[in-house]
Amino acid sequence: MSTKEEQGRIELLQGTLDLLILRTLLLGPRHGHAIAKTIELNSDEVLQVEQGSLYPALHRLIKRGWIAVEEGVSENNRRAKFYRLTGKGRRQLAVETNKWERLAGAIARILRPAE
Amino acid sequence: MWRRNRMLKELEEDIREHIERETQDNLERGMRPEEARHAAMRKFGNVTRVKEDVREAWGFVWLEQLLQDLRYGARMLRRSPGFTAVAVITLALGIGANTAIFSFLDAVLLRALPVAQQEQLVVFQWTAHAKPKFTGRSAYGDCALECELSGPFYETVRAQAKSFSGVAGFAGPLEMDLSGNGAASIAQGEYVSGDYFSTLGVKMMLGRPLGREDDSRSATPAIVLSYGYWQKAFGGDRAAIGRTVRLNNTPVVIAGVAEAGFNSLTPGKTEDFFLPLSLSDRVKSEWWGQPDRYRDPAAFWVLIVGRVKEGVSIAQAQEEASALFRNEMVHGAKPLLKEADEPAIKLAPAAQGLNGETRRIAPMLYVITVAVGLVLLIACANVAGLMLARAAKRQKEMAVRSALGAGRRRIVRQLLTESVLLSMLGGAVGVLVAFWGVQAITKLISSGFDEGFPYVVRLDWQVLAFTIGVTLATGILFGLAPARSGARAELTVGLKENELYVGRGGARAARRLRLGDALVMAQVALSVVVLTGAGLLVRTLHNLHELNPGFDTRNILLFGINPAIAGYKDEQSAQLYRDLREQFAALPGVASASYSEQALLSGGWSGFHVHLDGAPPNTNVSTAVLPVGLNFFPTMGIPVLAGRTFVPADFATASATNGAIKAAEEQGQAGNPTTGRVSQAQAAPIPVIVNEVFARKFFAKEDPIGRHIGNAEHEDEPAKGPQPGYSIVGWAGNTKYDDLRGELRPTMYLPLVENSAHFELRTAGNATALVKLVREVVSRADKNLPLFEVRTQTEQIEASLFQERVMTRLSSFFGLLALALACIGLYGLLSYDVARRTKEVGIRMALGAERNQVLVLVARRGIALVLVGAAAGIGAALGVTRFMASMLYDVRANDPTTIAGVAVLLGLVALAACWIPARRAMRTDPMVALRYE
Repeated sequence: MSTKEEQGRIELLQGTLDLLILRTLLLGPRHGHAIAKTIELNSDEVLQVEQGSLYPALHRLIKRGWIAVEEGVSENNRRAKFYRLTGKGRRQLAVETNKWERLAGAIARILRPAE
Repeated sequence: MWRRNRMLKELEEDIREHIERETQDNLERGMRPEEARHAAMRKFGNVTRVKEDVREAWGFVWLEQLLQDLRYGARMLRRSPGFTAVAVITLALGIGANTAIFSFLDAVLLRALPVAQQEQLVVFQWTAHAKPKFTGRSAYGDCALECELSGPFYETVRAQAKSFSGVAGFAGPLEMDLSGNGAASIAQGEYVSGDYFSTLGVKMMLGRPLGREDDSRSATPAIVLSYGYWQKAFGGDRAAIGRTVRLNNTPVVIAGVAEAGFNSLTPGKTEDFFLPLSLSDRVKSEWWGQPDRYRDPAAFWVLIVGRVKEGVSIAQAQEEASALFRNEMVHGAKPLLKEADEPAIKLAPAAQGLNGETRRIAPMLYVITVAVGLVLLIACANVAGLMLARAAKRQKEMAVRSALGAGRRRIVRQLLTESVLLSMLGGAVGVLVAFWGVQAITKLISSGFDEGFPYVVRLDWQVLAFTIGVTLATGILFGLAPARSGARAELTVGLKENELYVGRGGARAARRLRLGDALVMAQVALSVVVLTGAGLLVRTLHNLHELNPGFDTRNILLFGINPAIAGYKDEQSAQLYRDLREQFAALPGVASASYSEQALLSGGWSGFHVHLDGAPPNTNVSTAVLPVGLNFFPTMGIPVLAGRTFVPADFATASATNGAIKAAEEQGQAGNPTTGRVSQAQAAPIPVIVNEVFARKFFAKEDPIGRHIGNAEHEDEPAKGPQPGYSIVGWAGNTKYDDLRGELRPTMYLPLVENSAHFELRTAGNATALVKLVREVVSRADKNLPLFEVRTQTEQIEASLFQERVMTRLSSFFGLLALALACIGLYGLLSYDVARRTKEVGIRMALGAERNQVLVLVARRGIALVLVGAAAGIGAALGVTRFMASMLYDVRANDPTTIAGVAVLLGLVALAACWIPARRAMRTDPMVALRYE
């Protein structure tokens, strides 16, 4: 993942990037660049993905069968690779989201113990 | 492969396009073109790293790294050809030897029987608490336990047993006189039942198999040739089918030729042709007294093999067969056993039950396998030592790799790949070594088999798989230790230019050297074990050669003549022998001639029971028996200690007595009980000569000359007819009878008046030169009498020592090989040591050390290693050699002389191995050494 630490950027764990990609693709198939931009936009620029690390993550997800790749034409009429969510990926997204929420909740409880 | 390349290319494009798009976006945001591009690339990150990560995600990396390692390893090996050559040759010898021995094990012990679906075949073995009352019993070396049964029982099983889809009977091979195909010759014929070929599933190469119709008294006699005999005696002539030849003067038609792979059901036997069991009454063979052996329920000579039906368990079949056997033995036409003796049949899987010649070879193979395994271990230790030394030189390279980011496991993997590559090379060359080795060993072992080596030893896929397995194991075995120690190289020390290890400096160096020491000590120990085994076998062979068998073994020509095969009756045979003996004795170059039923030291012996006068009734003692002709004792050089040897009158007496006994038996069988004794003149006691053991054992201090020995008395078989017994006329020195190793038996020599004799001619000079003359004499007497087993007595003894000779040669070879390897290992270690410590030696000499002191310094280490290794080796040898005790003769498994001899040999050779590096150290010029970096 990203080894740079600039102001405002927060390091992402590897598994988290996978989760974000899956969620992004829930809205529809996208090509690599678009996925990066969507993540940046939707996180109000807090999460700035080192765009290069997107690609190993994408290939990992393809290998696991959670996303699939197909050729297509992009918005400016150029050929591009589009990634889309598979059924398996959809189910995995639900599982991962659940795990993330439980993790976040647990951390929150520790940081702000009930008084 | 291509998928990978395509994917990587596409990834490049994807990355390019991604950066393009980001650049576009940046331009739209208002950046200047170069700035836009730069920002995009910075945002993307490290392209190389991304590509690497993607490749790793796909798991190609592992394969790529392996290829990389292989290429690099090959380069490194090419760069040090000396090391590579030595290592490959060492490994090739070790792996090749193991492969060769394994292919023998495979052929002799593991290979399947040459029939279809052998798992269903079972062989019949009988058991009982008492011995059945046989009229005759013959075994032909097919199995270890009692597996011969009678002809009528075989037919009962075939007719009545429901558990088998086929039952085959067979016996032999027996020697038969085959004429009608060129000169008359002796061939090996196997009696088989009609359904032998169908039950076993053996196919024909030519013509037709024998069938049920052939196995009957009324059928035209037909035989099937084996492929080998068809090639050898008939030249592979297809017109041989349908020809008629004569077996012991009975005409038979050649009906077919068996397929090429089938020699015999029992492994290790060679059978020239197959003839029906029903021919046994016409093609009489050897010494069968009775006319119809096959029909006699008390003659056990037929083996039975059955194919169990589908769905029937072996236990069920065994029950059925046992019941049939019990019935036959207890209630049959001729009861041979009582119910209480519990006669039963055991069914053994044919592959285990029939082991034939395997029993002879197997123990040898086991011992050699162990020796060869030890040699391989030594070879591995040797190469490990070499690699260890090499790893030390590559410390810098390892340090650089570590600095560049290689993990420890990665380095170990790389080094292991190199060692496996090396062992693969060794294995490839080893296959060539194995090829040559198999041929050499086959030639060595063949001399022990009359008909050539009966097993087919091939380097087939099983053997190849074994080789590959051994090679891989070897590579990992010898590569592991150096790899792990090599990977531990510390950065700082490795990168320094000079390495100065004074004394024990550098923990790692000390550890590495300790490993090297251990390897050399292990090699020395293992080679001590192998050498000790070899030494014991050498002494055994020597002892057997030096053994005095009780007669003069020099210059004796041996050969056999069997007139019964050509139709002679007993009296005719006896007369023939007498005539031939006189003619042989008259030949120029022959000092004296005689004959005996069997040649001494030919592996066989006969014996029976006798009753000593004065012993309680119905108690018998057993004695070995050898019928001999005139002049036997002088010809063989056996001293006659008292009394006399045989004279012609003795033979007449023996003939007459035998005739009277036989007449009485025939009268008895015909139903006329003999009343009153036959006159003494007709049945006088047979004159016999006994040996010392006999005299001492049965007559103690008394003089045996003139004493009488009675025929055996059996409680449940009262004597029918005359029982004249034997009268001792002479007393001779002891000789070994059947083989050199056996103990001396009490022996009784009779006058030979019946069939089957082997002639012994003592010649003045070279025995073999007389063979032609002998043949002429015999063919003048009768053209149809072939000679067989023509050899000299010394050749006979050598043949009987075949196992010992093979073992001695093989074990000596491997022992010396082990010694050579161990010494090369020692030499290598000390050389490396000297080279490494050149600087230290230079300093010592500069500080005033004498050259001799340096010599001692280096040699001391080598000698210490050898001493410790030898001590460990002697300990191991003492523990291991006891397993070979059964092969030794007159030498104990822990014989101190042998061990001392091995230690001395090892010491001398090891000293030489230490000497050379030590002298090199001695010659070090201090100035050069100190300048050496």
